[in-house]
Amino acid sequence: MSQRAVWPALLTALLVVAGCGSASGTGSSSGQPSGKLVVWDWKSGDKAASGYVQQAKADFAKKHPGVTVEFVAQPFDQYYTLLGAAVQAGKGPDVVLFNGGGQIRDRAASLSPLDQYVAQDKTRLAGWDAFSKEGKIYAAPVTLQGHPIYYNKALYAKAGLDPEHPAATWADFVAGCGAIKKATGASCLSLGNKEGYGIQFFMSGLGSGILTPGEYDDWIAGKRDWQSPNVKRIFQLWKEANDAGLNNKGPNSTAMFNDSFSLFESGKAATVIGLMSDIGHWKDFGEFLKPENVGATLAPVVTQGAVPSLAYDGGIGYGIMKWTKDPALAADLVRSLTSTDALKAFYTGAGAIVSDTTIDASGSGPAAAKIVAAIKTGKPALHVALSAKTLDLMGRLSQQLLAGSVTVDAAMSQLAASDKSS
Amino acid sequence: MTGARLLVRSESGRTSSSTSINRARRVRPERLAAYVLVAPSVLVIVGLRLWPLLLGVNFSFTGDGDRDGLAVGLDNYAELLRDPVFRIALRNVGLLVLLLPVAVAIPGLLATFLYLRVPGARLYRAVYFFPAVLSPVIVGSIFTLLLAYDGPVNAALKTVGLEPVDWLGDPGVAMFTVAAVHIWATFGMALVVFLAGFATLDSTLIDAARTDGAALRQVIWHVIVPGLSRTIQFVFVTTMIGMLTSMFGLLYVMTSGGPGGATYLPEYYIWIQQGQMNRPALASAASTVLFLVMLVVGLAQIALLRKATRED
Repeated sequence: MSQRAVWPALLTALLVVAGCGSASGTGSSSGQPSGKLVVWDWKSGDKAASGYVQQAKADFAKKHPGVTVEFVAQPFDQYYTLLGAAVQAGKGPDVVLFNGGGQIRDRAASLSPLDQYVAQDKTRLAGWDAFSKEGKIYAAPVTLQGHPIYYNKALYAKAGLDPEHPAATWADFVAGCGAIKKATGASCLSLGNKEGYGIQFFMSGLGSGILTPGEYDDWIAGKRDWQSPNVKRIFQLWKEANDAGLNNKGPNSTAMFNDSFSLFESGKAATVIGLMSDIGHWKDFGEFLKPENVGATLAPVVTQGAVPSLAYDGGIGYGIMKWTKDPALAADLVRSLTSTDALKAFYTGAGAIVSDTTIDASGSGPAAAKIVAAIKTGKPALHVALSAKTLDLMGRLSQQLLAGSVTVDAAMSQLAASDKSS
Repeated sequence: MTGARLLVRSESGRTSSSTSINRARRVRPERLAAYVLVAPSVLVIVGLRLWPLLLGVNFSFTGDGDRDGLAVGLDNYAELLRDPVFRIALRNVGLLVLLLPVAVAIPGLLATFLYLRVPGARLYRAVYFFPAVLSPVIVGSIFTLLLAYDGPVNAALKTVGLEPVDWLGDPGVAMFTVAAVHIWATFGMALVVFLAGFATLDSTLIDAARTDGAALRQVIWHVIVPGLSRTIQFVFVTTMIGMLTSMFGLLYVMTSGGPGGATYLPEYYIWIQQGQMNRPALASAASTVLFLVMLVVGLAQIALLRKATRED
C-alpha cells in the first residue's frame, strides 16, 4: 500500500497495463507493489563480493522499495545439484546466478528469455554470447571470464629472458622454458588436471595460436572438425608439452583449484594459463608475486597463419527462472545486479574483470591493463562452445592422454562423436 | 497367532454359541492392536523408503532435457550399458568385492594379536581405532597431501632409491590407493567388533591347543577362526556395505573420479550425472542399477549368514 502512495503518478500511467498482468516494455514495471525475490548464487557469502551485493540491493530498493530481496548463497560444489533439484520440483529461486556456456545452455529450458528487458544494456555490457542460446538471451553478464597466460616476470629476468616481451612463437616459448628450468629450477607450465579442467584452459589459452582465424570462428559457430590437423594439434601439443617436461610433475593428481595456481604463486612454475575473474587471476597472483612481477600475454603462435587473441566469454551472469511470478520485476533486479555502480564495486572488491566496458581498469597493474586492452580483439573461448558432456569426456581423455592410456586419434574420434550427439 | 488359536478352540468346543461369539469379538481389538503397533514403522518404511524408491525407478524410465517427463522405456539403461564410465564404475565395484577379504583380514589379524597380548597391545588398540573417528573428507585431505607427487611419501621412496609413484594420478594405481586409504580409515570399527567377538571366545580352547603344541598359525586357523565365524560374517557384511556406500567422500576429495574416470564408483557417477550433467533421469537409472547390485550382494550375504547359523 505504501508503494502506491510513493508512486501514484507512475501507477496511474501503468494501471491498465498492470491490471492485465502484462510484463512488456522496458522492464521497470511497478505493477507488483510488494513481494519477495529470492536470489541463488555462490558469491554473496563471499566477503569480497559484499560491496557489490550491497550496491545492487540499494539500486533495486530505489526502484522497488516494497520488494524484499533475499540472497541465498549456496556452496559452489553443490550449486548445480541443488538447482537441478529445484528445477525438478518446478519451484525455487526467482533470480539465479549461472556460469556462462554449457551450464546455462543445458538449463535454458527452465529459464525465461531476457531479450525484452535488457535491450538498453546490450552495448554497455560485454559477454552476452555465453548466456545466449539459439538467438535468445538467458542471463545478463556480471563478469568476463577468460584465459590469459600469466608469467612470472622475476623468473623470466633471472633466466635472462626479456620480461616485457614474452615468447611470440611456440619454438621460442619452449626454448625459454629450457632457460628458465636451467636458471631457476622452476617448471615452465603449472598444470593441474586432477579435475580434468587443465585441458580446457590449455585449449582456450593456446587455441588462438594453433587454429587459423577461419577455423576458430567456425569452431565457435558450431562447425567443428575434430579430425582437422590443427584441432588435432591442440591435443598433440597437450601431450608433447607434458612428455617434454614443460609441466610440473604429476599434473593428473594436481588440483587446478588451487594447487596449480599455488605452484605459480610460489615461484615453482614460470607460466600458468589462468583466469580473468573470481580466482586464479592477476589480483590473486599479484598478492603473492607483487603486481609488477605478474605479466599477462596471449598465446604464442604454433601454426603459421594463426592470430593470437584473448579468449574470453561472459563469466557469470544472472538469469530468471521460468516459474517466477513477475518476470519484469525479477528482470529489474537482474538489471540492478549488472548496473555500472554495482559492477564497479565488484571490480574493486573482488578483482574481477567485469562485463561493464565503461569501467576504467588502468590503475591495477600491468597484467590487468594488458587483459583489458585485449578485450576488444578477443574472441569467445574454444572450450566454452562445447557441451558439459563433451567437456567431461574431454577432461577424462586429457588425463588418459597424459597417462598414455589413449592415443590422440582415438581421443579425437570419441570427442567428435560426443560433440555431434550433444 | 494367539487370536487364531483361540478362534479354532472356540469353534471346535461348541459348548455355547454365544461364548464363542463373545470370544471371537474379544480378540479383535487385540488383533487390531498389533497392526496399530507396527503401523508407524510400516508407514515410515512405505512412505519414506519404498514409495520414493518406486518413484525413482519410475523416473528412470523418463527422459532428460528436451525429453523431460516423456516415457523413454529402457533408453536410460541402454545408455548406461554403452557408457564406458559406468562400466568402469561397475568394474570398480567388482574390484572392491575382491578386495573385501583383505579389508576383513587386516582388522581380524590385528585384533588377534591384540587378543594374544602382544607387547603394547593397549596402546595399539587406541591407535588402531583412532582413524575411525575422522571424517572421510579429513582423511582424504591428509592422504592427498601425503600422496601428492612431490609429497612426503614419494620423498621417502626417493631416499631409499625408489622411483616416485603418482599415487592418485596413475589410472592403474589410483583405485587401489583410494581403497587402501578407505580400509585404513575404517578398519578400526571392524577391529572393535572383532575384539568384542574375542570376548565370547572360550580361552580354555586356546590354552588346550597350545598345550597340545599348536603353532600360532594353527591356533588362528583351527581355533580362533571357527570360534569367530559369526563375527567374521558380520564384519564381512558391514565392511561390504561401507565400501560400496561410503567411499564418495574419499573419491570426491582425492581423485574426483579420475584420472580418466579410473576411480569412478556408481554413487559418484550418479552424483555427476545428476548435478553436473543435468541428467536426473539417467542418474535415477544408475541408482536403480546400484540398488539391484546391493540387493543381490545383500541377499547373497543373508543366505551365507543363514547357512552359518544352521551349522551352529
